[in-house]
Amino acid sequence: MIELFGVTKMYPGGQVALKDINLRISKGEFVFIVGPSGAGKSTLVKLLFREELPTRGQIFFSGRNINRLRHREVPYLRRRIGIVFQDFRLLPEKTVYENISFAMEVIEASSREIRKRVPQVLDRVGLSHKVKAKPSELSGGEQQRVALARALVNNPDILIADEPTGNLDPDTSWDIMTQLDDINKRGTTVVVASHARELIDCMKKRVIQLEKGSLVRDEERGVYSNET
Amino acid sequence: MRLRTIKYFFRESFTSLVRNRWMSLASVGAVASALIILGSFLLLSVNFDYILKDVESQVEITAYLEDSLDKNGISRLNNHLTAIIGVKEVNFISKKAAIEEFKEQVGKELLEGIDNPLPNSFRIKVNDPHEVAVVAEKVEKFAGIDEVKYGKGVVEKLFKIIHWVRLIGLAIMIVFAAVSVFIISNTIRLTVFARRREINIMKYIGATDWFVRWPFLIEGIVLGLIGSSIAIGVLGIAYNYLYITVKLNLPMISLVPKEQFYDYALGFLGIGMLIGAFGSSFSIKRFLNV
Ligand SMILES: Nc1ncnc2c1ncn2[C@@H]1O[C@H](COP(=O)(O)OP(=O)(O)O)[C@@H](O)[C@H]1O
Ligand SMILES: [Mg+2]
Repeated sequence: MIELFGVTKMYPGGQVALKDINLRISKGEFVFIVGPSGAGKSTLVKLLFREELPTRGQIFFSGRNINRLRHREVPYLRRRIGIVFQDFRLLPEKTVYENISFAMEVIEASSREIRKRVPQVLDRVGLSHKVKAKPSELSGGEQQRVALARALVNNPDILIADEPTGNLDPDTSWDIMTQLDDINKRGTTVVVASHARELIDCMKKRVIQLEKGSLVRDEERGVYSNET
Repeated sequence: MRLRTIKYFFRESFTSLVRNRWMSLASVGAVASALIILGSFLLLSVNFDYILKDVESQVEITAYLEDSLDKNGISRLNNHLTAIIGVKEVNFISKKAAIEEFKEQVGKELLEGIDNPLPNSFRIKVNDPHEVAVVAEKVEKFAGIDEVKYGKGVVEKLFKIIHWVRLIGLAIMIVFAAVSVFIISNTIRLTVFARRREINIMKYIGATDWFVRWPFLIEGIVLGLIGSSIAIGVLGIAYNYLYITVKLNLPMISLVPKEQFYDYALGFLGIGMLIGAFGSSFSIKRFLNV
């Protein structure tokens, strides 16, 4: 599904965020990208949805080299990717329902599809009773579930989350992780950048560890850190 | 494009128009002033032209003939003059007819007992008043013509004035149009700024560039259209008033009837739209980065 070959990312100014990364993520996998702050996790995520272009190396998505996508093809790549951020990024003046239907409006779905699909995803993240609430009336965990629903509403092939529990307390974080696991079990590939050590250790998923931009460990059913 | 999408674009545009109401007002004001100025100069020059045509249709060339020219010569010359390109009509005025006309103007008594000093002449009318000078020059070259006279200078001066009125009008209009584009682009920039979160989210959800652009473009176009509509309204009312006033008080001057300006009104809507679209694409390019 996703393959990286010798990917290096250098920011203008010379900061090397990623160094010669080789990586393969298959369809249906659940992958944690771990590492301390500044290790390059966010940069890797940004490369995947083509927010940034690699300085060197190739990135393939379903067999397509995404470096070579034309500017006007990028939106169609992104429609196959659901994205979730640490800060939720909801629109404060829109209701829960509107925040999600917005994602379908943007890709020009029909009214009928929107009316059918939005309640489905809201039900899946357990927010059916909050459709009319504004984000400011929700807890952090609930807001992140709205963001999850928005990322899922267009049926992406892959869900990418950058520190999805970074702003949440441990219980709520656990809830979000369970949701992500559930999404993965229904067939969506999930990639989560995180440094939530305990959660990652409990989940027993594949762990890719970055250290100052280099890939230092790639382990099935791994834990956050194998140093003891 | 889906109806739902189009509705979405318009809803977004109008939300922004209201949210930035002061800047929207400034934009509309700028477009309206630009077009009111353009329109005033346009109305002025079109009417000037119209009145001048009237005056000029009375401007004719008088060609005085040498006394030595006999009847045959006169008739041949008449044919030659009629053949000049741009000449509409040639009338022969004999010595006798000229003195009779003159007597009528100044009074018989004054000229009693004096030998007729007036020569034979042709009065020549031209098709296009702009060509009076050119035709006069050609007429002068024929043998048998003693002297050629026409409202020399006056005609040229009037045309020069119209020419300048147009140029100045155009220059002022261009400056104001540029100011309008600038103000509109600033208004749109505010909108882009107010909606940057949303735009950012739209982009990673997979919105196409055009989907992001349309609401801003519509916002600019609506600003331009409102501005030009105001200009059309103001000019229409003012011109109507002027037309009636002139008709009542200066019956000898006839202004261009307002019905002839309906096409211009459409043109103005078009210009307003262009100014708006141009102003917003400017901001979209620079600040939206899509
Ligand atoms: N837009 C940017 N411009 C310059 N340097 C950046 C930019 N984004 C990230 N970096 C640098 O790249 C490195 C990796 O950052 P990041 O990918 O955000 O790490 P993480 O998400 O693991 O904390 C850091 O040193 C950071 O300062
Ligand atoms: Mg980060």
